[in-house]
Amino acid sequence: MFRILKGASGERVFRTATISALIILALFIIGIIVSLLAYTEWDTFISALGSSEILFAIRLSLMTATIAAVISMLIAVPVAYAISRSRFPGKDIVDSLLDLPIVVSPVALGAALLVFFNTPLGSSIDNNILKFVFSVPGIVLAQVTVISALAIRLLKSTFDSIDPRYEQVARTLGCSKPEAFFRVTLPLARDGLIASTILTWARAVGEFGATVMLAGATAMKTETLPSAIFLSLASADVEKAIAVIFILILIAVAALLIIRKTVGRRYRV
Amino acid sequence: MIEIRDLSLRLGEFSLKGINLNIRDGEYFVILGPTGAGKTILLECVAGLHHIKKGAIFFDTADVTRLVPEERSLGYVPQDYVLFPFLNVFDNIAFGLKQRKISRVEIRERVNEIVGILGILPLLRRDTRSLSGGEKQRVALARALAPSPRTLLLDEPLSALDLRTAKSLRIELKRIHRQLGLTTIHITHDLMEALEMADRVAVIQDGCVEQVAEPEAMLFYPAGDKVADFIGSPNILDCDYCRSLGQGVMEVGCGSLKLTVAHEGAGIKKVAILPRHIYVSENRPPGLSVNGFQGLITAIEPVGNVVKISLEVAGKILMSEIPSYIFDEMDLATGKEVFIILRMRRIRVYESTR
Repeated sequence: MFRILKGASGERVFRTATISALIILALFIIGIIVSLLAYTEWDTFISALGSSEILFAIRLSLMTATIAAVISMLIAVPVAYAISRSRFPGKDIVDSLLDLPIVVSPVALGAALLVFFNTPLGSSIDNNILKFVFSVPGIVLAQVTVISALAIRLLKSTFDSIDPRYEQVARTLGCSKPEAFFRVTLPLARDGLIASTILTWARAVGEFGATVMLAGATAMKTETLPSAIFLSLASADVEKAIAVIFILILIAVAALLIIRKTVGRRYRV
Repeated sequence: MIEIRDLSLRLGEFSLKGINLNIRDGEYFVILGPTGAGKTILLECVAGLHHIKKGAIFFDTADVTRLVPEERSLGYVPQDYVLFPFLNVFDNIAFGLKQRKISRVEIRERVNEIVGILGILPLLRRDTRSLSGGEKQRVALARALAPSPRTLLLDEPLSALDLRTAKSLRIELKRIHRQLGLTTIHITHDLMEALEMADRVAVIQDGCVEQVAEPEAMLFYPAGDKVADFIGSPNILDCDYCRSLGQGVMEVGCGSLKLTVAHEGAGIKKVAILPRHIYVSENRPPGLSVNGFQGLITAIEPVGNVVKISLEVAGKILMSEIPSYIFDEMDLATGKEVFIILRMRRIRVYESTR
């Protein structure tokens, strides 16, 4: 019955099937972009782009995403190294726990953060140390919560791929453990570090669910680019929404290009 | 002196069980054993790469068991060299020197000195990824030697190299050892490598030291069956009887094979003949032939630049080894009758009382 799937014809059928899937997906993405271009009226597009609200959203998004990416990397480097190199009982459980933010819906994460800041401990932090709820630090916290798990995952695979013997050799050559890490492991992880920084940053720029839950989407206050799309569509301002969509696509393309350029084809993501 | 006292360690499926070793100053010490015997772990323990719970390691009289690798002043060359790919050859060699906070000029001088000893000056600016196996090995060696360590640890330094490169590096390693007078611990699974290079050999199997001896003594007087089995590549024959022929010569019988050997004293239990000391000839050798026999070729196997010929002689299988260029001159084939000579002076005897 499955004779056609055997031998040379089977190879042909398989090849055609996989390549068709590829072509269909590519056409789907191209179709979306073409429809966006067709829908746009360029005069209103330009004026929307120059509006103070959109400029604010661009500035806020770039700033919060950059801070969030830096914080996430500072957390992710030691955490990923610890998970990659150390063995302890319950490591698998900790490992899965750290994956949770990748799998759980960002809206749920944001809602959970909001609940936390309503507990006595959370509200005392919010009132006395730093205001997170419905404020800019809230955006950063929401982004860090979502993207740090991704950064850890990417860096863990980077550290996993580095033979621990590089460090061992460095130690026999006189390096202490921290010196071996900074002189050998970090340079070896260079490509992975760059790629995961850019990817987590790009993911932070696009973060919406957790951000909107914790920081809200108040125009000129906590309105990031994704929030701007949401607010524009909510007020039936399609032109503005499309302008922001293009900005986000541009940022994504730039991020991918930078990864390709700096890391080369060795580190594919 | 390096002294390992009663060292035991479990690491996954590998383990060391009560290792005791004394390695003398300036000695070329080879640790020989099959894959999985625990040789690498033992070397890594000396380097300080494992946390030791049971046993101790002393350098001279100082207990170094708890010292971290950077405090041990060792040169370590791991099995596949582990050169730093993000540094060029110069920076790889200078890596340990930069850790010392010495001046740039001194670093350059020291690198040049070591590079001169190893003859790799033309490689200095190269990317390590573009080096051949032999070049990588020399660079790894230079990197280990640059900070002037007291001891050099070599983990299978020749096993990844082609035969010719390995041979030239063997000579090189011995020369460097003589020149620098460095205590060297060299790990290998290759018996010939151990015989050729070692001042003394330790045979390790299943995490235990089975024998520590000079290479000849180890080959012909293996301590126990485990070692004898491991070094089985020489022809070792069990003897049924022996009698003195006078003048330091004895006749021994190994099954129906009667051999004349140079020996005096107690009874011979075993004789050992290295494959390369068994000569194969197509024609009956002229003159009086001591230990000359007729045999049948049962298999021919080229291995590198030698050809291994398995021979059936008087019901025994003997392994002979002749250089390829000689083999090519001859007309040998499986099933052919040939004449063989076991050189009397090369036959080692084994007065086992075990």
